[in-house]
Amino acid sequence: MFDNPKELIPVIDKLGYVIEEELATVLFLLLRLEKPLLLEGNPGVGKTQIAYILSDLMGFELVRLQCYEGLDVNNAIYEWNYQKQLLAIKIHESGQKSEQEKEDLIFGEDYLLKRPLLEAIDSDKRKVLLIDEIDRSDEEFEAFLLELLSDFQISIPELGTIKAKHKPIVILTSNRTRELSDALKRRCLYHWVNYPSMEKELKIIKKHIPHIESALAEQIANYVHKMRNLKLDKAPGIAETIDWAKGIAALEGDDNSIYNSLSCLLKSEHDMTLVSSELFNK
Amino acid sequence: MDHYSDYSSFSEALVGFSQETRRYGLHSGIQCTKETVASALEGLWLDKDQFCYALSALFCHSEEDKETFVKIYNRYWRQRGTRINDKRSNKNKSTLVKQSVNSAVMVGVGNTGHTEDSVDSKTTTGSNSKETIKKTDFSKLNIIQEKELEILSEKLVSEMSLRIKRRRKKMLHGQIDLGQSIRKNLQRGGAMIDLVKTKQKKDKYRLLILLDVSGSMDKYSFYLLKFLWTLKHHFKQIEAFTFSTSLLRITDLLQSKHLSTSLFHVSQTAKHWSSGTKIGECLKDFNEHYAKRYLNGNTLTLILSDGLDTGEPEVLGEAIHKIKLRSKKLVWLNPLKGMQGYEPIQMGMKTALPSLHHFGSAHNFDSLLELENILIHA
Repeated sequence: MFDNPKELIPVIDKLGYVIEEELATVLFLLLRLEKPLLLEGNPGVGKTQIAYILSDLMGFELVRLQCYEGLDVNNAIYEWNYQKQLLAIKIHESGQKSEQEKEDLIFGEDYLLKRPLLEAIDSDKRKVLLIDEIDRSDEEFEAFLLELLSDFQISIPELGTIKAKHKPIVILTSNRTRELSDALKRRCLYHWVNYPSMEKELKIIKKHIPHIESALAEQIANYVHKMRNLKLDKAPGIAETIDWAKGIAALEGDDNSIYNSLSCLLKSEHDMTLVSSELFNK
Repeated sequence: MDHYSDYSSFSEALVGFSQETRRYGLHSGIQCTKETVASALEGLWLDKDQFCYALSALFCHSEEDKETFVKIYNRYWRQRGTRINDKRSNKNKSTLVKQSVNSAVMVGVGNTGHTEDSVDSKTTTGSNSKETIKKTDFSKLNIIQEKELEILSEKLVSEMSLRIKRRRKKMLHGQIDLGQSIRKNLQRGGAMIDLVKTKQKKDKYRLLILLDVSGSMDKYSFYLLKFLWTLKHHFKQIEAFTFSTSLLRITDLLQSKHLSTSLFHVSQTAKHWSSGTKIGECLKDFNEHYAKRYLNGNTLTLILSDGLDTGEPEVLGEAIHKIKLRSKKLVWLNPLKGMQGYEPIQMGMKTALPSLHHFGSAHNFDSLLELENILIHA
């Protein structure tokens, strides 16, 4: 589909994501090598968005698995439909089927509830699989993922191994709240998503709010960059920058709109106080 | 690539690069080498930037790896002739250099004449170096080690907190509740599909830390305070106090997400830093003003002090006994205990010993990590 990473840049740009050549090269590799991609970076730098953009780019449906502590196989891969199984047992109680046949029946695919991971590999159409915030899940769950990430298959004891009909495009994201295992990392391409440069952030603001004045956009990007250098509890991400720009635009006519809309950007009293005193002399 | 011979040497150069990355601590296996060749075959070697980005995605596994990778990449593909300290055989070396010239021409990078810093071994700190830092006495750490220890302690305490949380969670699983299980499965004709387990009441433990910041603890108190800050960010229920000639609650001062901010706040507030030691008086003060609020049957009290008390031993004895009665466990970690030949013969330590559940050392990071076992069994 694409012969060169550079071909990806304008197409992704049209989809609303400002991308640099480095990330475009990594996405090109992801498509060519069909290897999962692990994106690490601070919250709010646009990691998850990349999966959505890929889904739009390729025209594949996105399947998202949001990770959390305690996530297990039953919620991520599959579960048996117990009610349906019981009903089937009752129906076939007085039937002619042997015990083995009954067992084969109720442990068949018709009785399987597919969770996101299984859905992504057992579909007739190719999908984009987003495993979001993998660092929130337990290490045991990481181990479950290894088979999927390396062989694109899932083993279900009662059914055997289910191989992917179409290899999904797999994106894993992590905020790096903990280190992921080497085994998992080895199976993935890796890219660290950094906060954007001034120039890139300016482009992002203009892309999302096309009617914004250049001078104001520059001022916003400049402030955000200064804030990221302060010791804030939560450094503003790209989404917050866009929210702030929209907030300022909404307060048109207010001479103090930049300061008054800071709540779009800063999420704690400590950060508000620090920014007020350091950048606004208040 | 028009000739088979050219193609072959390029592949070998890629393998050589893979070996080079391994030499500097990047985890690149055979699979990685195979994918490197595959990515080159996708035409990425034609553009020097894309080639670098592609290899970076394959060889790096963390933000820190990237820095090392860039240095290795620049040296290998742009300054192959200047490689130093290569311990491989001369035969191999000359072959690789010859191949690299071809490879460099192929990837369009050539020798740019641009001088890059040599790959600093410090950027690929191995496990041995980490072990050394963990075992080094706090009083003997140099500035570089201090910085490394800060990063390391954040990582290790985070892992420790996760392990403790998980083990405690597992310990909460109770027995099968037969009544509840039958009731839950009635709608399924009584077939026992979902088993209900009795839930044990979550045992919320508290950690109370009393840190000695008197003059005799100068070499250690700063590191121990940093450790406290790290603990505070991984364990919800922590109360922290400093003491020397007076007692100060510092729990709120450790709230900041930035260590330097917290240290600044403590330095502004703790006026008694580096002064004399009245352990007994301070603990008595604690018992009178804070014990009711912060001590209960679930509190693990941790005292970090050298025990060199200048007050009345009776006061200390009585105060510490009261703390013991109100705590689930009383632990004293003493930096001096890490010294060879140390005996707890000072009056303060001698008085406190009978009331302690555990007496350990706190002279290096390794000894502080022992806390994990104490917390798990608390």
